[in-house]
Amino acid sequence: MSFITSYCHLTYESCSVNGNVIVERDPESDDNWFKQLYKNQEFVYPKFYKMDTLSQAGFILSEMIKRAQPSIMTSYQDDEIALLFANQFSSADSDLRFKKSYEEHGTPSPALFVYTLPNIVLGEIAILNKWYGENMFAVLPKFAPDFFVNYSQVFLSTGSEAVLCGWLGIAGDQINVFVFLIEKQGSAGMEFNAENLKKLAGIELV
Amino acid sequence: MDNLKEDLKKQLIEQLNLEDLQVSDIADDALLFKDEGLGLDSIDALELIVLLEKYHGIQVINPDEGKEAFLSVNTMADYIRKRKS
Amino acid sequence: MSVQITGIGVVSSIGLTVEENLLSLLESRSGITTVQYLDEKRNLLTGEVKASNQELIERTDVKNTNISRTSLLGLVAAKEALGDFKHDLRLKTGIISATSVGGMDRSEVFYSDYLSENDPEYALLKCHDSGNTTERIAAELGISGYINTLSTACSSGANAIMLGARMLLQGKLDRVLVGGTDALTKFTINGFRSLMIYDEQWCRPFDESRSGLNLGEGAGFLLLENEKSISISGNKTLCYLSGWSNAADAYHQTASSPDGKGATLAINNAIIRSGKSRTEISYINAHGTGTKNNDLSESVALKNVFGENIPMFSSTKAFTGHTLAAAGAIEAVFSILAIQHNLVYPNLNYDTAINETGLVPVSKLLTDKPVNTVLSNSFGFGGNNSSLIFSNRK
Repeated sequence: MSFITSYCHLTYESCSVNGNVIVERDPESDDNWFKQLYKNQEFVYPKFYKMDTLSQAGFILSEMIKRAQPSIMTSYQDDEIALLFANQFSSADSDLRFKKSYEEHGTPSPALFVYTLPNIVLGEIAILNKWYGENMFAVLPKFAPDFFVNYSQVFLSTGSEAVLCGWLGIAGDQINVFVFLIEKQGSAGMEFNAENLKKLAGIELV
Repeated sequence: MDNLKEDLKKQLIEQLNLEDLQVSDIADDALLFKDEGLGLDSIDALELIVLLEKYHGIQVINPDEGKEAFLSVNTMADYIRKRKS
Repeated sequence: MSVQITGIGVVSSIGLTVEENLLSLLESRSGITTVQYLDEKRNLLTGEVKASNQELIERTDVKNTNISRTSLLGLVAAKEALGDFKHDLRLKTGIISATSVGGMDRSEVFYSDYLSENDPEYALLKCHDSGNTTERIAAELGISGYINTLSTACSSGANAIMLGARMLLQGKLDRVLVGGTDALTKFTINGFRSLMIYDEQWCRPFDESRSGLNLGEGAGFLLLENEKSISISGNKTLCYLSGWSNAADAYHQTASSPDGKGATLAINNAIIRSGKSRTEISYINAHGTGTKNNDLSESVALKNVFGENIPMFSSTKAFTGHTLAAAGAIEAVFSILAIQHNLVYPNLNYDTAINETGLVPVSKLLTDKPVNTVLSNSFGFGGNNSSLIFSNRK
């Protein structure tokens, strides 16, 4: 048995943690939505600005999960937290930007190429937290609760004690991001199964 | 007088996404790759090579050449002047 | 607990079938040449599969010819691994594939159209969508059960194999086709050149003079079956997958750590999971891309794990090039062949040991050493490190 102990949603309009809206996008601001979140939550991590949108979303929401569930930083060994993320469009936004850099500008950008792999977001989270556990990224036709349940179970029964899961649905301004934490201990949270996950994920996703 | 260094700083901020920084935050002799300086990494070093080509028309074939040239804005400016003459 | 491997399939620059690949390996015949099939003007060394898309279409007999090269390569290898496949509703069947470029070779043709538009149509990206590749392969093979695509860079193929094995052991699947596929594209060529890790010369893994990788393309697949599936299919077990592990390096997006932490963890945990001792490892098929960074980091990891007693090791990437998401799977097939035929492949182009570590790979083909257990490493960008252990014993 395992539990969903914390979760975050991000859409183009708002960001919420455990069902409560924390930040709403300011359409008047000069800053893009991710930058607004970064500043609003007072993060200090200059590498953020080099990241693509997938990694920025992964960074922001995993940090918010850490704030909502601070025990995650003290309850586990550095290789006991697995990262399991997925999405539909892989790294499409970054792929397009990288292509532009060599087709239009003639100078392929290494900094953009780095982000043309969707699993880099996992690398960013691991680097920041010095987490050495398992990392898995899948490309699926749509958000699939069974996928997260099955694979989390595989990880939790073979060495991991917690799994940080994420669906990074980002394509341009279409943002449907859902990050959640699964722990073996956590009776205060919801039991982790496909039904409950579907409920928490919300109708936009399922 | 020394537009090159000021331009370089603007280009650095632009090319390397150093959004938190202004031109005035970058000292001429700040060590770009040290944490006390700008804390740039290996990918940034590659982007500097792109920057040199894009803004100054200079091609750096051997990345090791960059190690000397990219220590600070001062050394970058010297390198550019030398390559252009 | 081991998992039984009952089918293997591979296509790479050194052959379109398992037999062809084996022959090339035995004859030390590399497939790395200047670009022939890709519409690429540079005189680059690559490990291209020696077949045009049209030839691959004819070989796989696909009816809808709107198909990416990545899917075609995957189909060739997957069909070979499946062999005499029979649908059976009693068996939970799946396919877990891996790719990093997906259908990008097709979308490269389309992209010039919508680079000029402000709002690119994401539906058009469906062909590039990595998941589409696996779905297409599944559709062509008639697999409709469990379809999944992993995308974890250069360790993807190994991760697909690992995940398939675990799904089998957890009883979620009875048989699963696992592997990876990637075609050569301008996209990846440009990318690796921008990172300045593409060697203009033929790559030299583990050599002091190494200066980068040569990209390759191809696909590799394994068929994994549990007892229930084997009792119905009657397939012979070719080899066992005894151990596996995945660990994060947590150091840098594209460079491996100097202390090889992630790699060390992956190798150690894979060995522990296999239940075998370090001394039982007969041969290591290294990741060995030929970049300054990987080969040093991997050497450090090997020393961390094995101390002074490092088993025979070599990289086969000077044969095939670095095939990205397919690498872990292609090299899994090579590892299985090594066990089946007692082979230790030569690390081509080796001359001088890396200064810092002094490790010496095998540089001539060996056919007279017993090869019972092989460790295969695949380390990807994002610090995603995976190791697999193959064995001829449970």
